[in-house]
Formats: sequence, C-alpha cells, structure tokens
Amino acid sequence: MSARTVELFVNGRRVQAPVEGAEFLAEFLRERLGLAGTKVGCGIGACGLCTVWMDGQVVSSCLVPAVVAAGRHVWTVEGLTDLAEGRVTDAPPGLPSPQLVQAVQRAFVQCEGLQCGICTPGQVWAVCALLSEEPRPSEERVREFLAGNLCRCTGYQGILRAVRQASEEWAPSEDP
Amino acid sequence: MRTVGRADGWAKVTGRAAYAGDVRLPGMLYAALVRSPHPHARLLRVVKDAAWSVPGVCAVLTGEDVPYGTYGRRVRDMPVLAREVVRFAGERVAAVAAHSLQAAREAARRVEVHYEPLPAVLDPEEALRPDAPRVHEAAWRYPGAVVGPDDPPNLQSRRVWQYGEDVDAVLSRCPYVFDETYTIPAAHQGYLEPHACVAWWKPDGSVEVWASNKSPHRLRAQLAACLGVPADRVRVMPVYVGGDFGGKGSPMDVPVCVALSQATGRPVKLVVDYEEDLTAANPRHSAVVRVRLGVDGEGRMQALDVRAVVDGGAYAAFKPVEHVNLNGFAEAGNTYRIRAVRIESLIAYTNTVPRGHMRSPGSLEANFAVESTVDVAARALRLDPLEFRLRNVLRTGDRGTLGEPWMEVRGEEVARAALAALREGEGAGEESTADGGRWARGVGFAFYCRAAHGGETEVELRPQPDGSVVVRVPFPDQGGGQHTVVRNVVQRELALPAEAVWVQQADTEELGTDSGVGGSRVSLTASAAAAQACAQLRERLRQEGLEGWELRAALAELARRRPGESVRAQVKVDEELWMNSFCVQAARVRVDRDTGEVRVDELVTALDVAGVLNPPSHRAQVEGGVVMGLGSALCEEVVMEDGRVVSGNLHEYRLPSVSTLPRLRVVLVPGGRGWGPYGVKPVGEMTNVAVAAAVANAVADAVGVRVRRLPISAEAVYRAMQEAGR
Repeated sequence: MSARTVELFVNGRRVQAPVEGAEFLAEFLRERLGLAGTKVGCGIGACGLCTVWMDGQVVSSCLVPAVVAAGRHVWTVEGLTDLAEGRVTDAPPGLPSPQLVQAVQRAFVQCEGLQCGICTPGQVWAVCALLSEEPRPSEERVREFLAGNLCRCTGYQGILRAVRQASEEWAPSEDP
Repeated sequence: MRTVGRADGWAKVTGRAAYAGDVRLPGMLYAALVRSPHPHARLLRVVKDAAWSVPGVCAVLTGEDVPYGTYGRRVRDMPVLAREVVRFAGERVAAVAAHSLQAAREAARRVEVHYEPLPAVLDPEEALRPDAPRVHEAAWRYPGAVVGPDDPPNLQSRRVWQYGEDVDAVLSRCPYVFDETYTIPAAHQGYLEPHACVAWWKPDGSVEVWASNKSPHRLRAQLAACLGVPADRVRVMPVYVGGDFGGKGSPMDVPVCVALSQATGRPVKLVVDYEEDLTAANPRHSAVVRVRLGVDGEGRMQALDVRAVVDGGAYAAFKPVEHVNLNGFAEAGNTYRIRAVRIESLIAYTNTVPRGHMRSPGSLEANFAVESTVDVAARALRLDPLEFRLRNVLRTGDRGTLGEPWMEVRGEEVARAALAALREGEGAGEESTADGGRWARGVGFAFYCRAAHGGETEVELRPQPDGSVVVRVPFPDQGGGQHTVVRNVVQRELALPAEAVWVQQADTEELGTDSGVGGSRVSLTASAAAAQACAQLRERLRQEGLEGWELRAALAELARRRPGESVRAQVKVDEELWMNSFCVQAARVRVDRDTGEVRVDELVTALDVAGVLNPPSHRAQVEGGVVMGLGSALCEEVVMEDGRVVSGNLHEYRLPSVSTLPRLRVVLVPGGRGWGPYGVKPVGEMTNVAVAAAVANAVADAVGVRVRRLPISAEAVYRAMQEAGR
C-alpha cells in the first residue's frame, strides 16, 4: 500500500513515521510510535478511550486522520505522566499543570476511579482538561463534560469522587 | 484494613499497564478477518488472488488451510475458520496477515467468498421442532456435548432442577395461579476493550499467547486441545484485561491468530473492531421465560414452575459449565419458601451469533421473570408487594428451594434496610410536582439471592533483598480488584506497608493452578491462598532462625541467604459452600404518561456483607453492578434482524453514561457469615441482577401496566399503556 511520511510533535518531540491509507491518529500513536497508553474502543468517537490532547484541546484520536495531525502538537497519557513526574522542561502553553495532573492521577487511584483501566488514560485526560479550564466545576458540569467518556466497570461513582477530590486539592474551597 | 488505593492503580493512570492489544514484537504482523454476511450458507469457494495482490500480505487462510480441530470451553463445536458451511452472520470465513493493519484490512476486503444461502433457523422455539433446519448435522458428536442422537436436533442443553412435592399437583390445588411469560433479549457485556490477542508460533514449536482472557490456565488447556499439542507447549503470558463481565473467558479469536502465526513463522496481532465484537463475539443469551406461580388463600407461595427457552446461537463453545447450561436459572424463586419447585432450561442452537456468559449468567433472565410475576401476584391479591415478599421470604434455618442447607439467609434484614433507605430518600428529586400530572410516580422492589462457589488457585511469595515481597498470582486483574485483595491480605498477614508488597501476574509456566477469574470466586480462593502462603513464609523464617528479627530485615536476610527462594500455597475450595448473599433493590421512577418515557430518580441497593477485604473495591463492584443493571433494564439490547446483529457500534448499543445516572444509594448490611480466614462473601455478581425487575415493578406501580420484555423502553411502556387504555 502506498505510504507517505507524516511529521508531527508528540509529547514535545518531533516524530516522523509512514502513514498508510485511512490510518488514524490513535493507530499511528499505538502501532507506529509504540505509545500504547492511548487505548482504542469503538473507533467512531463514541467511547472516549482514545482521548488525547491536540493543540489545546482534548480530541478522540480515532477520529483524526493521521495526515491531519501533521505539524500539530499532540500529547498522550505518556506525555501527561512525563509532565506529572517532572520530565518535561518546556511544556507548551495550555497543557495542564504538573501539580494538577498529579492530583488527578492520585485521586483516580485513591478513589477507585478505575477498575479494568482501559478507559482510564482517556478519563484522566478529560478530567485534566476540565479542571485546567474550570478548577471547581459543579457536579452537573462534570457529568456533562465526561458524558463522552464511557466506563463499564465503576458505575462512574468512583470517577465522580476522584474528580471532586482532585478539584478540592487543586483549587481548595474558600468555604469553611 | 488499611486502604491505600488499588495495587494496579498507578500502572493504569499513567498508561503503563499493558493489555493484549498493546503488545508489539519484532517482525510482528497484523491480522484481519473475513466474516460471513449470511446467517446460514454453504461455502462454495473462496478466491484469494485479489487479496494476495495487496503489498505486504503474508498469509490468506481459509478453513481448509487450518490444521487444527474445533474448540470450545466445554463443548468443542466451533471451527477456527468455517469449513463448507457458515452458521451465523459474522462467522469467521477467512483470515489475513500482513505487515500493516491497513494492508491486512485491505486484503480482507478483497477476499472473494461465494456462498449458497441455506434456510436459517432464527428462533429457539422453532429450532426445537423436529422439522426445523439443522444448525449442525450431528451436534451430539462434538467433544463435550451433553445431548444425544435422540434429542431434538438443535438442542444444546436441557437442564431440569426440581425439589419438593410434585409441582403440577401443588399448582392444581392452589386457589391462585399466575401464568406469565417474559422476554429477555441478547445483550453485550459492554467491556470497552474489544477482543485482542498476539500469538507467536515459535521455531521450536512452542506457542506464546497474549490475550484478553481472564482464565489463562483454562485458555492454555483449550488451545492445546484445539491445536492438538501438549499443554506445556502453550504459554499464556500476563496482561491486563480491559473489562470482562463474563465475556472474556473463551479462546475467541486466539486459535485463528495462532494459525496465522504458524503459517507465517512470525508473531501476529489480531484486534477486532468494536463492531465485530458487538456483532460476532459472545453476547448474553436471549430467553423467553414462562413462570407459573401458585399462591394459597393466605398469600403464601406454594409452587413455582419455570420453563425457559433460550437462544444459544450457532455454537455452544462459549459456555464453560459441565452441563452447558446457565446456572442462574437454578436461582429462580430461591429468595422464597416454596414447597414445590421445578425449573427447566432448554438451550437451542440457532443461526445467530453464539451466546456466552454475562455477569451472573442466567440470573437476570430468571430474576426478571420471577420477580415480575411475584409483583403481578401481589397486586392481583391486593397485597403490598414488599409485604407479600416478606411474608414468603426464606429465613435462616429453612432449606433452600432446591434443598440447599444454607448456613444463613438474611433476606428480611436486608429488605428492611432497603426500605429504610428508600424512605430517607422520599421527596428528594421531586421538585417538579407542578407538571400538570404528566409524570406518574412509582416504587418497585426486587429480591435476589446468589450462592457462593469455590475454585482453586495458587499464590507465590518471593522475598526480595530490600525486604519487600513480590507476590505472584496466576490470574489477571480484569478490573475486579483481586490483585489489590491479595496485596491487602499479604500486607496484613506480614504487617508490611503497602509499598513493600508488589503483586505480579505470572505466566502459565510459572504457576500451575488456577480456575480463572469468574463466578465471583477469586476473593475467596485468593485470600485463602495468600494467607496460607504468608503462614508458610513465617515458618521458613523460623526455620532459618530469623523469627526474632524485624520482619523486613528478616525477609531481606532470607533473600540474601537463599537467593530466588519462594514459598507457594495452593488452595482448592469446595464448589458448594452453602453460603449465599442477599440483595434487595428498590427503584423510584417517574413515567411520562404521554410518551412512556421512564426516568429512574433513585435506585437503592441493600446488600448482605461479611468481611470486606478492600472496602473501596467492594463498593466499586456494587456501584458498577447497579449501573450495569440499569443498562439492562432501560437501554441495552443486541438487536437482530433476519438473524443479523444490527446494533452496529456504541452509538447504537447505548451503555449508561455518567450524564444519565439516577441517584444511587448503597446500604451495606454487615454481620453476615463469610468463608475463609477473612470471612468473605462474593460481591461481583450481586447488584446487576434485580435492577430490571425493580424498575419494571416501579413502572407498574406508577402507571399500572406491566412490561414483559427488556429493555423497558419508552415505546414498550407507551404501547403497554395504549393496550391497557391508560
């Protein structure tokens, strides 16, 4: 099959790899670059497993043709973890702060915001994106924002508790 | 017990946890499958030329090219690739391996298959008639089959459970007999990781497999039987499993992946699309369940006759139990004292997608039918439905409906806890009473009781030079939290901090015994094995003269003196423990009188519990089950038309989302008698079962109509209201 080379920035690094046919960003990240932290569920943008950050917002990477990502800045859960663990020195503007990422990851672990874990990288990205923009969202807002990130294991209660804990830690309430 | 978050938590939030589809090996090829569009057809010929013309293609296989036998968890009736005939729309007909996924998919599209459609049988009741088209020529010949040549030709399994007096005789003496029929459709387990595997047939003839499978040791045995090789030639490697709920217990596509690897000499990865998983994997059995319930003049249940006709689909390969039936049907009516009980479950082959297990297999089917009928009876007898249930509820000291000598039954106190919680929630969420009478409100209850079962497993402890312990277990964590349970037990037994205990899954060569994750048994077996291994380790320290030492120093010293030494404990827990758990669920709903739309405002779950090994995981199992139950109640159905699944993907097969949930209230009723060193009771399959009946009963309470088919959609309620003239 005819391949062409695509160049983009993933987790702050310039990468180049061949792309074939109708290859989407999720597959490109996983199979060409070996960044398997980004998961793929439905492949049609209905489950949120493949959520990544691209040029300032979270997107379903299964819906982005790899060629469309050319020249863009993409951050995956591996990059998010590098950020949280202090391995990123020149983060582009708009990425969540390392302290926020730490708070979100810790809250998911402590509040049982995950079970099988297949939706977790996408959930963590979505929650980081939300709290980065809105540090103290109402529960209704959280439910609306996370509506596209499905989870079959938790019944969402642990995820909602994790968001509350992370929000409280990241932007403590002024109320007594 | 201390709780410091899940043992697998950090691996999962950082994206480091590896699942089968994440494995990449040097020289690995990618696979794609060609599936039948016909429910039943003769395979005339397959033309591979156009597929081979795609650059990068390394193999194009059809059934004739695969030198293996059929496979299955019990009945080995499923071919690796179809031969001569296809038996359901979605069956694997050909498989391709290529250097890239894109090339494999393109080649699969170019495989030309010529079919001659055959008459199909799509309904289990029809399938059991003597003149029905046959799905298999001689189903009784398959290894593991539980049917004979004299049975109806499409029978997969017939199972009868009965106890007490003759049911027909007792029913004929009852002043009230309620005769009801309920329909439960197929449903997908809803795991978000579609089936995935990597297989490598190595040059020495051994096979390595990474698979989304929850029972690695059973997978190894099933593969060995299919491939015709000794089990020790197959090695199943450890990976996390991205959700299971009963659907990840079979070899599924692993045999065809192995065939591609053997044909090419390279490792091969096969990850199916979600569409393929929804249409062609192993969804829940659909069933039509007839219930006859006899009640005496005092409102006491006397006799229960249940007959289920169940669609097993084209292959029986995905049912693991010996009798190839669904154990959940045996629970029909088991929450009550009933003197005569007979339950029959007939599973038929049809030309539809093969069915498999889904969280508490058979239980939802039985529970929805019986608990709806109980409500119908209460309303007809002008008894309060909860009062009627409590009048009949099984109590400690009673024999179970099938003669079980239960050690305790806590139905009454659990029901009272549910009622108290429901009353606390009264009035909440009802702010919109000024709706012109559009919304009718109602409350419904349902009871559920489930037996615990044993199993076997093994745990190994390896002291490390830094004084920590590596704990090796033979089972994956598919989300149930069993690795965390093991960590907590080892922590507690050895008085170690959480960070000094590291749980790892071993591959099938390293540990030898395990019955897999499933049947809600793993907390029982694994906690017992872990406690026993800890006792053995303490004994080893004593033998080495290290008993006076601080424990971490002693472990470090043992690791230094005897590098690589470990202790192992195997446990085998009896299948029957005569222990059950009781769950009572109550739904508070609103029904739109104009459209039939049902909104669940609140769902109360009261659950009988004993020792809890890790409270957050226990709670998550309870909550996750409730939401899955809501999906079955309200929205989930694998829709079939002319034998083909038409629920194409997750935009059509709607799983509950965080934006649409009711208020969930969970009440744990402690004090139950559990099993083993920590006195535990199973939890994983308790809370997803009775939700559907509770919601249906609440709808009946609200608008006076009975929905006898799941899911309880607005259309179904609207139609029922129209028919009832309401």
